[in-house]
Amino acid sequence: MDKHTYDLLIIGSGPAGATVGRFAAAAGLSVLLVDKKQELGAPIQCSGAVSRHALEDVGIAPDDEYVLEAIYGFAIYDQAGASTKIDYRKLKADEYGEAPGRKPLGYVVDRRRFDRYLMTQAERAGVETWLKTEGLGYKPTPDGRCDVSLRRFNQEITVSCKVLVGADGLMSQVGKWAGLQTHIKITELAGCLQFIVDNVETEGLLEIVTGHEWAPGGYAWVFPKGHGYAEIGLGVIPTLTDKPARWHLDRFIKESFFKDRFKNSRILEIQGGGVPLAAPLRTQYADNMILVGDAARHVNPVTGGGIHTALSGGKIAAQFLIAHLSGTMGKDCSAAQMKGYQDTWLEQLGDKMWKLYHTKTKVFQHADVVTRDAELYATMSDYFDPNSEYKKI
Amino acid sequence: MSKPAPVIFDIGWNACINCGACVAICPQEAGFISPFDTIAVNEVCDIACLLCEKICPVDTITHETITTGPQTPTIP
Repeated sequence: MDKHTYDLLIIGSGPAGATVGRFAAAAGLSVLLVDKKQELGAPIQCSGAVSRHALEDVGIAPDDEYVLEAIYGFAIYDQAGASTKIDYRKLKADEYGEAPGRKPLGYVVDRRRFDRYLMTQAERAGVETWLKTEGLGYKPTPDGRCDVSLRRFNQEITVSCKVLVGADGLMSQVGKWAGLQTHIKITELAGCLQFIVDNVETEGLLEIVTGHEWAPGGYAWVFPKGHGYAEIGLGVIPTLTDKPARWHLDRFIKESFFKDRFKNSRILEIQGGGVPLAAPLRTQYADNMILVGDAARHVNPVTGGGIHTALSGGKIAAQFLIAHLSGTMGKDCSAAQMKGYQDTWLEQLGDKMWKLYHTKTKVFQHADVVTRDAELYATMSDYFDPNSEYKKI
Repeated sequence: MSKPAPVIFDIGWNACINCGACVAICPQEAGFISPFDTIAVNEVCDIACLLCEKICPVDTITHETITTGPQTPTIP
């Protein structure tokens, strides 16, 4: 049987995995990036919103290949339809806008094309990429490396690497292989469903609708989706409702204050997923292994956004691995060494995510729906405020 | 409280959107997963917490209780 050898093996080519690979390969590490899918990003489990600076921070140019629509701000609604609009085209007209020399605040991307684009950039930086390849397990070996078992087009292959990077998403198996506590509480996972629709007008804003009435435990959203389409979705926490997300979404479309706006909508695509509104994993490393992105639960617990945190976390992971593997302790990839990754991540990003988690937890501690609704609306409005301390998450 | 009886899950594939939420919430060890990014449907689940059924956005997971002995009645 062939034995392949790399510095890094990354399981999962989403925004986190591809970003780790791109930076690591550019710095000269040998990297194998595998994904079990045939088409990255599909089926789509994400609304696709990402800020411009999130892309800039990791050196990714906005590209027509994956950008569906530029966005310029937010509108936060309460359950009755009263709103706070934060439109940067008005707030900072000299900086943001559609005109030449003005910039968007962010983008809604097509995850199929976005993930492929990120993999392409990784591949061009020197990463070897294998699709239709799933991870089966890993074990550290006496030489300080580890063996990872893969199945590629039905063929079983063992790869030896120094560090295995688990970037295998919310359904992560890599963390479980290492025996990490990855279990997520039912009170902290939102069941989400969204429709891509025709015949719903949008105005370049991410619209967020709060209120137990429409999305118990989560929120509903209306995002521009390019080509004149929109995306209508919501997430609900199962312990706060006995109905599935689909029931709530149907009701939001037919009965909410947007019912007239939605009345001619036609569904073009159905997408869904679980979105963690939870804390990051307390332990994101083991011997010869680290976790990034959704697998490490690097998801904003207030918004459920995960692209920015995956990209930033991927870059942090790559920088740690590049420095560690070229340093004096480079041959030691034990858990004690890999902890350095998590420490750096906490310092650069994680501590803020923990703070957001506590903010979110406080909102949902209110048993009284009216108070909870008011606090969620205020929290969301603050969060997207131009002066928010969380702007960079 | 007594331990819930083991179950075997059934997925209504017509409604399944392969979103993976059931796998994300599942407290089972690694590998309790189908080739279609859902919880396993060909293995007995001895935890039977049924969280996967609760999280499913399209309400398409059901289960059958597995009898542990010939005398134990099956709960429909």
